[in-house]
Amino acid sequence: MRIETVWVGRGGQGIVTATYIIANASIIDGFHAIANPEFGAERRGAPVKAFLTISKEPIEDQEPVKTPHVAVVFDDKLLGAMQFVIDAVKPGGYVILNTGKSPQDAAALVGRDDVNIVVIDAIAIARKHLKLDVPNGPLAGAFSKVMGFPSLQSIREAFETQLGKAVEENFAAVKEAYEVAAVIPAKKVDASAKPKGIISTTSAFLTGPYEVVGWREVNKAGAVFPGSSFPYATGGWRIDKPVIDHSKCIMCRKCWLYCPDDAIIEAWVEREGPRGRKFRMKMIDFDYQYCKGCGVCAEVCPTGAIQMVREI
Amino acid sequence: MSAQLIREKEKIIKQKRIALTGNHAVALAVKMARAEVIAAYPITPQTPVVEKLAEYVNNGELDAEYIPVEAEHSAMSAVIGASAMGARTFTETSSQGLGHMYENLPIAVGMRLPIIMGMAVRTYSAPINVWGDYSDVMSMRELGWIIYITQNAQEAFDTIIQAYRVAEDSRVHLPAVVAYDGFWTSHVLQPLDVPEDEEEVIRFAPITRSWVKLDLDNPAQLGAVGTPEWYWEIRWQAVEALRGSTKVIEEVDNEFGRRFGRRYGLVSPYMLDDAEIAIVTYGSVYGLVKKAVNKLRSEGVRAGALRLRVIRPWPGDLIAKYLGNVDKIMVIDRTINHGGPLYGPMATEIATTVQRPVYNVLATIGMRAIDSDMIYEAAMKVYRGLWAPGVPYTVGLRGGYE
Repeated sequence: MRIETVWVGRGGQGIVTATYIIANASIIDGFHAIANPEFGAERRGAPVKAFLTISKEPIEDQEPVKTPHVAVVFDDKLLGAMQFVIDAVKPGGYVILNTGKSPQDAAALVGRDDVNIVVIDAIAIARKHLKLDVPNGPLAGAFSKVMGFPSLQSIREAFETQLGKAVEENFAAVKEAYEVAAVIPAKKVDASAKPKGIISTTSAFLTGPYEVVGWREVNKAGAVFPGSSFPYATGGWRIDKPVIDHSKCIMCRKCWLYCPDDAIIEAWVEREGPRGRKFRMKMIDFDYQYCKGCGVCAEVCPTGAIQMVREI
Repeated sequence: MSAQLIREKEKIIKQKRIALTGNHAVALAVKMARAEVIAAYPITPQTPVVEKLAEYVNNGELDAEYIPVEAEHSAMSAVIGASAMGARTFTETSSQGLGHMYENLPIAVGMRLPIIMGMAVRTYSAPINVWGDYSDVMSMRELGWIIYITQNAQEAFDTIIQAYRVAEDSRVHLPAVVAYDGFWTSHVLQPLDVPEDEEEVIRFAPITRSWVKLDLDNPAQLGAVGTPEWYWEIRWQAVEALRGSTKVIEEVDNEFGRRFGRRYGLVSPYMLDDAEIAIVTYGSVYGLVKKAVNKLRSEGVRAGALRLRVIRPWPGDLIAKYLGNVDKIMVIDRTINHGGPLYGPMATEIATTVQRPVYNVLATIGMRAIDSDMIYEAAMKVYRGLWAPGVPYTVGLRGGYE
């Protein structure tokens, strides 16, 4: 037996810790495991990928995982950019997805009927038990349920070793996820079929497919053009998005003052006055391209006009 | 894992299986070996070692002086000073950090101080690449340090303990570095066996304080001027000590095997008895190489593999013994020697040792991943005569000869 898994999510969601927890718990249960994160200088929100291989035999070869048995996805907005991970899952394998959507909608997002899809609202569970947006504990619980290992008791011990804090809270989240994870079985499995794609071994970041050019075509000295972060839309990192109720907004601009990402904008809108006269006025809006959903605007709004709404 | 399990009559000490990353395994070994002075500056990918050791000292689990220096130059200076006072010392670095402490590296050798340094290997900038390859450790080969290259967390743990015993042996008195793959070992959580009774480690490697050190009752001047009349003679002592340390390294490794049940050797051979093609490499990819060898064997190619574990002192006799009768030797180098005769540092040294050209393959540079199939294909090209010896080929890299 050798189970290969890949875990994708965003910096700060605890992907690496999740693989450490499951690997450690599997070792306690008598398996051999290597948790092989592929990371570098990640910042919060950037896509992160980690590998975990569990085997009954000792693992000496650290093969890159190319066609996993299980893919665990921490953010349903990554399904587009990281479709290649879903494509690479072996037929009959598992996709474990953290999403607030209904199981049917989530299955439609995954878009494969030859794999088992496990849907879990890990964010809601984590918020309930930990008051944090860290979905790794619940996803570890969902993993344990569908794979049948490692045991919950071992996961608890692993939390003690790897985290050493908030063990009870994390374990409560794991247990709840273990109980509520919804499994949509694969409709048709052709076990002899090959996965549609493989996970490339050449990229460390996997922010998406990129054009491979030869060494002669790479910019000399690795110069990057344009030297700007403008093209990098950071809005994809959001879990919640701010929504404004203009009837409550008094245009005090406190949200603009406090927004750390300059994502509050004043947009000109055309309005019709009481006697049919058209005039232009300013209104608060959000630049969802760069809004990371931190919630500071909702926090500082004196009239409660801004609400945070779940997006994944 | 890679260790050759031995069945000896002597009782192997009781151990428990835990799970740790390579970095934390090294920190645990240093704690069990009871380092007395630790000075290190955190640099990716070695940071968790420094953090863990600081935690041990802070929690009172390790009675050591922890010096949070402002940079690596000071880290090496501090451990040189502490070691010259007779303390068991530890530092750890990677990449540019090693570059920053470079000035002090030969001083530790000349003063014959048994400093142990860990190294989660990483490539050099630019462009900035925080990931693993062997550029850093390969750049300190000329200085006189003992250099170990380990394969996994278990071996890194075991080797730190062995290194203290070797370095402090009165026949050696040299600093030693224990290198392991940046990220592929340093950040990979793996199972490993550690002694249940921590005291076993200090029993195996007691602090000897036998080296030349400062002593108030017997004042001396260390690191003094060595005029042209004396410099070479003093340096030659260090050269001879390094050459002679081969024996000590083997002795210590054997005794470690008897007590702990794991032994690694200066080199690890795999299926070399009747091999017509041998794949030579170092570090964590050895597991993939062994898998590629199995595949080659299953197709009737008599393949074998050799892992270099100790590269300074260079175990030339052993390498010549294992590779002397092999037709084709393919060396997978994991860093490049810019403009060198073969481009790969180990390929150059193996070619010199066996006194004929070898097939030089460069891979995993800047931590570009490879798998066993890619190694298998490269070996097949060498086996079928499609590649020529003495030319740098690459696996999994765009650029270079393929």
